[in-house]
Amino acid sequence: MFEARGRLAKIGLQLVVTLMVLPFLFPLVAMVAGSLSGQGWGNYAKVLAVPGFALFFRNSAIIAISTIVIVYVVSLPAAFGFSKLHIRKKEFYFWLILVCITLPEVVLLAPLFVLASQLGLFNTYWAVVIPLAALHVPFAVLLTRNFVDGIPDELFEAARVDGASSMDIFWNMVIPLSRPIAAAVVIFTLLASWNDYLLPLVFLQDPTTETITLIPQYFVGEFNNDQTKVLASAVITAFPEVVAYLLLQRLFERGLSAGALK
Amino acid sequence: MVNGKQELAITRPIGSSSGGARDVRRHPMRPPGLPWVLPALVVTMGVIYYGIGYTGNVSLFNWNGLSDNPPNIGIKNYQGILADPVFWQALEHTIVFFVVVVVVQTALGFIFAVLLHSPIRFAVLYKIIIFVPVVLAPAVMAPVFRQIWAVDGPINRLLGDVGLGALEQPWIAQSSTSLAVIISIQVWEFTGLTFVLYYAAMGQIDSTVLEAARIDGAGNIRIILSIIWPDVRGTTVALAMLTAIGSLKTFDIPYLVTAGGPNYSTEFLGTYIFRISIPQAHVGYGAALSVLLLILALTMAIMLQARGREKEGPAV
Repeated sequence: MFEARGRLAKIGLQLVVTLMVLPFLFPLVAMVAGSLSGQGWGNYAKVLAVPGFALFFRNSAIIAISTIVIVYVVSLPAAFGFSKLHIRKKEFYFWLILVCITLPEVVLLAPLFVLASQLGLFNTYWAVVIPLAALHVPFAVLLTRNFVDGIPDELFEAARVDGASSMDIFWNMVIPLSRPIAAAVVIFTLLASWNDYLLPLVFLQDPTTETITLIPQYFVGEFNNDQTKVLASAVITAFPEVVAYLLLQRLFERGLSAGALK
Repeated sequence: MVNGKQELAITRPIGSSSGGARDVRRHPMRPPGLPWVLPALVVTMGVIYYGIGYTGNVSLFNWNGLSDNPPNIGIKNYQGILADPVFWQALEHTIVFFVVVVVVQTALGFIFAVLLHSPIRFAVLYKIIIFVPVVLAPAVMAPVFRQIWAVDGPINRLLGDVGLGALEQPWIAQSSTSLAVIISIQVWEFTGLTFVLYYAAMGQIDSTVLEAARIDGAGNIRIILSIIWPDVRGTTVALAMLTAIGSLKTFDIPYLVTAGGPNYSTEFLGTYIFRISIPQAHVGYGAALSVLLLILALTMAIMLQARGREKEGPAV
């Protein structure tokens, strides 16, 4: 957007961007540098040697995947129904779901707490997966419905004339055609569930079911507040997220911006 | 049961009401859709609406979360909240947080997007650095930030090294700077998202318009202010909405970095509700706070919905 003709202007521009990016780079550098101070790589060895360290990642993966599956399985049919099928008071139902987008999860704390103790769901994945799914279905429905709205009605009517049922249309048209938006739903649900902190904090007290977001606290206890090891555990925890982003850069960026773009 | 509903939906419009009949004529081939949206309705209504109803009910009791017969105290919890200075502080922090974050993030995201659309070397590298924080969990970064802003941490060391030792201070341990630190962490985490949205929006601007403006003699600043900024207005509004909702949800960063303190200086509605409901076990009072937070969030939802109806900009 900027036009920089002269060599000096180009260097100036480069300098400005670099200076602006430095504060964003600083915490990452400080994190890695801090994790290597003291015993150097030994910090990492100590962290990785903690028994059950891999469990945090397994638990986060199980929770994220289950949440994604539920959100996808529930949202896509809803998008199809809202967009292309006949429902009385359709917009009212849609609104009922949409309103929940703004709901802060902390509001559900008391009821979920009581429900989880009555049903014996403490320290089970369900206690985290079900509320997470419920909290993210509304946004997924909004995204997918907007997308399916963009598919021309004529396409569906033609299929109906040829005798296709709603189920046929869903399987053979809606699912394949909505792949781009499904990718967006998967990415934002993945980030939201993988990075969620409050629900695991309250409902997963047993280290064998805890998620990666609870690692820092666990290690503050484990290593008697030895900062270098806590930072090493933060680097290890951040690593898969950064790698996933670097590998799927465009998918991540498009997925997260899908809701706000035409 | 699903079949029963399906039949009902088929037969009803043909039957009586004129509205329904018109519907049928307009969409002669639209089969019933209720079974398709039912799972989504059950999941959201079952968890969220149940939760809201439950919270609303509990907010009328003086309950510790355990006792069997808590006394119903009517709206006493709400009266207590209105007279509770911490509640008003939390609300004030939320508003300050929202205003500063929106302004700083919008400015930074916009400027980054403009700059990285310009002829810059290693643009991809800059993009990655700005966006990586978005994918990192705030909970994972919290100990890093506690370390960075600690009295003997890198920020103070850096200040000392460049001769600004006089500015060294206990950033997160004093009320005058703690909220600013929380805000800076939020900006660090989510400017990448703002940037990516602006970057994409600017990619859709017709380049011939820009060229025409340049031929007419418009300079860089003029083009940015008169063409680019108005053109991405929809994105700006959507981002402000997202930030408003995000501000009401703020929990992880203040809870983990400053624990709402010192002296409630970084208390937000989310951290206050958590503190009251779980560690202090005033579940009734916490529920009443939740209801108030919910009303704020619903107000946002209605504004959002009103905007969605306009259909002129992004629907968030």
